[in-house]
Amino acid sequence: MTTRRSFLSGAALIGAGMVTKAGAASLPEAPVQSSSTTAPPLAPPNGRPYNPVVTLNGWTLPWRMKDGVKEFHLVAEPVVREIAPGMTANLWGYNGQSPGPTIEVVEGDRVRIFVTNKLPEHTSVHWHGQLLPNGMDGVTGLTQPGIKPGKTFVYEFVARNAGTFMYHPHADEMAQMAMGMMGFWITHPKNPKQHAVDRDFVFLISAYDIEPGSYTPKINTMTDFNLWTFNSRAFPGIDPMVVRKDDRVRVRVGNLTMTNHPIHLHGHTFEVTGTDGGWVKPSARWPEVTTDIAVGQMRAIEFVADAPGDWAFHCHKSHHTMNAMGHDVPTMIGVDHKGVAAKINKLVPGYMVMGDKGGSMGDMRMPLPENTLPMMSGDGPFGGLEMGGMFTTMKVREGLARNDYKDPGWYQHPKGTVAYEWTGETPPAPRAPGVPEVPGPKPAADALNIKRDGGGHQHH
Amino acid sequence: MICLHKPGGAIAMAAALLLSGCASLSGDGGFKAAAAVSEQRTGAPASVAGRLPQNDDDGRALAAVIEQKLAQPLTANDAVHIALLNNRGLQATYWSLGIAEADLVQAGRLQNPVLDFKRSHGGGALEIERTLTFNLLGIITAPMAGRIEGRRYEQSKLLVANEAVRVALDTRRAWVAAVAASQSADYAQQVEASAQASAELAQRMRDAGNWSAMDVAREQAYHAQTSADVNAARKGAVMAREKLTRLMGLAGVQAAYKLPGHLPDLPAVPSELADIEQVAVNERLDIQAAKLDVAHTASTLGLTKTTRFINVLDLGLVANSEGATNTRGYEIALEIPLFDWGSTRVARAEATYMQAANMLAQTAINARSEARESYADYRASYDLARHYRDQVLPARKKLADETLLRYNGMLMSVFELLADAREQASAVRGYIAAQQDFWTAQANLEAALGGRLPAQTIHQESKQGDQP
Repeated sequence: MTTRRSFLSGAALIGAGMVTKAGAASLPEAPVQSSSTTAPPLAPPNGRPYNPVVTLNGWTLPWRMKDGVKEFHLVAEPVVREIAPGMTANLWGYNGQSPGPTIEVVEGDRVRIFVTNKLPEHTSVHWHGQLLPNGMDGVTGLTQPGIKPGKTFVYEFVARNAGTFMYHPHADEMAQMAMGMMGFWITHPKNPKQHAVDRDFVFLISAYDIEPGSYTPKINTMTDFNLWTFNSRAFPGIDPMVVRKDDRVRVRVGNLTMTNHPIHLHGHTFEVTGTDGGWVKPSARWPEVTTDIAVGQMRAIEFVADAPGDWAFHCHKSHHTMNAMGHDVPTMIGVDHKGVAAKINKLVPGYMVMGDKGGSMGDMRMPLPENTLPMMSGDGPFGGLEMGGMFTTMKVREGLARNDYKDPGWYQHPKGTVAYEWTGETPPAPRAPGVPEVPGPKPAADALNIKRDGGGHQHH
Repeated sequence: MICLHKPGGAIAMAAALLLSGCASLSGDGGFKAAAAVSEQRTGAPASVAGRLPQNDDDGRALAAVIEQKLAQPLTANDAVHIALLNNRGLQATYWSLGIAEADLVQAGRLQNPVLDFKRSHGGGALEIERTLTFNLLGIITAPMAGRIEGRRYEQSKLLVANEAVRVALDTRRAWVAAVAASQSADYAQQVEASAQASAELAQRMRDAGNWSAMDVAREQAYHAQTSADVNAARKGAVMAREKLTRLMGLAGVQAAYKLPGHLPDLPAVPSELADIEQVAVNERLDIQAAKLDVAHTASTLGLTKTTRFINVLDLGLVANSEGATNTRGYEIALEIPLFDWGSTRVARAEATYMQAANMLAQTAINARSEARESYADYRASYDLARHYRDQVLPARKKLADETLLRYNGMLMSVFELLADAREQASAVRGYIAAQQDFWTAQANLEAALGGRLPAQTIHQESKQGDQP
C-alpha cells in the first residue's frame, strides 16, 4: 500500500540519488526477488558468454551494459526470508532476499555496482577475494566512508581473476552479517570451455540465532546458533540439487558462519578444485567425500555424478543438521518414567514423556512455539528423515534434459538394491575371546536393557 | 427512712404499689429488640426460638439448625449465622440485657415496706416492738430513676446489638482467613507434589547414569523445602480454622465442619458507594449509643437545673461501652439546701453533658474516617485482586503454555517445565492473599458502615456465586 509517508520517503531516496555523480537517470534498475525457491540459471543476454551457475534457493542479479561496462544495482534493505515452510525471519539482505542475488561476471569485465542503502544504519560492500583498487575494497573508515541511509555509492573495478567469491558488508559487520547480509560472486573464465561443468551449484553457509517464537536473529550470539542454513534456508526448506547421471557437477560453497563446516556428499568422491584464491592445479587435488570449509572460505568441489539415487549432502556436524533445540536439555535415555509421568501430567496437563528412549521424536507432531521449525523433520519415501539445518540431497537421475532442475521425486530403487529386514534365524554374534558374559557396571547395564516397544510415544 | 408505729400509712403504701405497677419485666430481657437490630445489620437471626435459649428444647432446636448448616461446606453467611446463635460470649452479652431490664423495672418499683417485729425480754420484762418502714424517698425519686434506667436500657440494647455485629464481623473475617489458609495449604501441597515428581525423576536420572549426585541433591533439597512449606501452611490453616471454630462456639463432632475449597470469585464490579460518611453516621450503632448518651446527659442537666437538690450522676453511661459487665450505677440523694444551693452540681452536670457531646463528636469523626479508609481499602483490594485475576494469573498461564511448547520442541527440559509449574506458586499465593484481602476489606467496610452493604450490591455479588 502506498501511503503519503512511503511515497515521500521514496521521493527522498530519488532525491538522494540525483545529487550523486551518477545521476538518477543513469541508475540501472534494481530487480527484486520475493521467492525463496531456486531460480533457473540466468543465461547471459549480452557481454561475453559463460556457463551460468544455479544459486540454491536463490537467484542471479540481472545487469545492464552501458558503454561496455556491466552495471549492477544492489539495494541493501530489510527483508523477510522464509527459512523453511512454517518459519520466516526478519533479516537484512539485498534486493528483496537474504542472501542477496549472485553476481556473475566474466574475467576481464569492467563492473560498476551501484549500492543503495535502505538500512537504518550506514553500510558498505566488501568484494571478498577480488583484486581491485584499494578504494573499492569497501571497508568503512579504512577505504571509504560508510554509505549513509538513503545514499547510493558506486563501486567500479575490473573482475581480474576468474573464480569463486562473495560480497558482504565491512561496516558494522558483526551485526549486518548476523542479520544475513551476504551474497555470492562468480567470475567466470574468459573461455567458457575452461573448467566447464554441466551443473554448477552455489550457496553460502550462514547461521542464525532466532529464539523460538521470535523472528529477528540475536545478533550478539557468537557460537550458540540454533539455525544452520544454506543460503539462509534450513532443511526441509533447502531445494535438492538435481543432476543428470554422468554430468560433471560443481558445488561452490562459501562459509560466513563463526565455525567450520565439514561438507559431506554420499555416494561419490569429489575433489576440491577451487578456493577463493583461485583454481587448484589438477596435480594438487586429492579425493574426498568430506571437505572442511573454514570460516570466511570458499570451496569448489567437482565430481562426475555417476551413481543414480537420492544422495544425502550435508554438514557433518550432527548438530548442524538439526534445527532449534535446547542445548541444556539433560539426557533422558534409559530413565524410567513409570508413576512419575502421571504425577507430572497432573501438574502440567499436556505433558508427554520424551527422550527416555533417545532423542528421536518419531512421528510425534506436537504443538510448538510460533515461528519455529521442529528440531528434526522431513519425510522421505521410507519415513521420517529426522533432519534439519544444513541438509539436502543430490538427486542423480538418468535422462534429464540439460537445463532441467525440476525435482524428479524420490528415487525408484532397482529391485534388490535396498536394505531389508532379515526374517530368518539370527546367528549368535561372535564375541571376542575373554570378554565376560555380563558387561559393565550397573547403570550401563540398565541403559542397555531398554525395551523398545516400537510404539513411539503415543502410549503416553 | 420513716418508721410507722401504726398501720396508718396504708394510703402511702397503696400509692407506692400504684407507682410500681407502671413497670414490669418484658419476659425476654429485651432480647427481641436487640436481636431485631442485630438481624437487620448482620443478615442473620440471633436465635432459633425467637428468644434466648433457656431450656433443653431450645438447645435441641439450636443443635438441629447447626447440624443442618454443617451438612454442607460452610458458607460465610452460615458461619455468621451459627456464631450469632451459638457464640457463648455473645449469649452472655444477650443476658446482660436481662440484667439491665431488671434494673429498669427495679428502678420503677418502690422498695417493699418492711415490717419489723422485735421481741425481747430480760429481767422479767417482755418488750415487743413493731415497726413498718417504708421508703418515702423512693416515691419521690422513682420517676426520675425510671427515666434514667430507661435510657440506660435503650443504650444497653444498642450496645448488645453492636456486640452481635462485631461477632458477625469477626466471624466473617475468620471464615475468609480459614478458607484462604486451607486453600494455601492445598496449593503448597500441589507445589510439593511437583517437587516430589522432580526429585523422583532426578533419582531415576541418577539410576540410569545420566545425572550426578549433585543434580539429584539439588532437586531433593528443593523437595525437602517444599515439604516444610506444606507443614507450615497446614499449621497456619489449623490456627485459622480454630479461630473460626471458637467464634462459632463449636465443639466435638460439630468442630469437624467442612469449608469450601476456595474463596468466592470476585464480584464483577466493586460496589460504588456514594456518601459513605453519611451512611456510617446514620447507621452505626456506636454513634446511636453515643447520641443516646448525649440525650441522657442533657436530660440529667435539665433535671439538675430544675431541682438543684437532687444529685443525679450516672457515671456508668458516661464511662461508655466496655460491655455489659461494667458496673455502672447512679445514686440519688435528697439534700436539705441549707449551705449549698446546688451551683456546683449544675456546673458538674453541664461538664458531664459537654463531655458526652464531645465523645459523640469524636465517635462521629472516627466513624467517618473509618468509612473513608475502609472504602478506599475495599476498592484498592478489589483492584489488586482483579489485577491478579486478569493480569498476573493469565500471564503465568501463558508462560506455562509457552514453556510446554518449548518442552515439546525439545527446547527445554522436563525439569524446567516442573520448575515453571513451581514458579506459578508465588502468583497463585499472591492471588489467594489478594482475594482474602478483598473479602476481609468488604467485611471491614460493612462494619465501618454499620451493617451489610446496600442491597443492590449484595444482589450483584450473589450473582457471582456464594457470598461470604
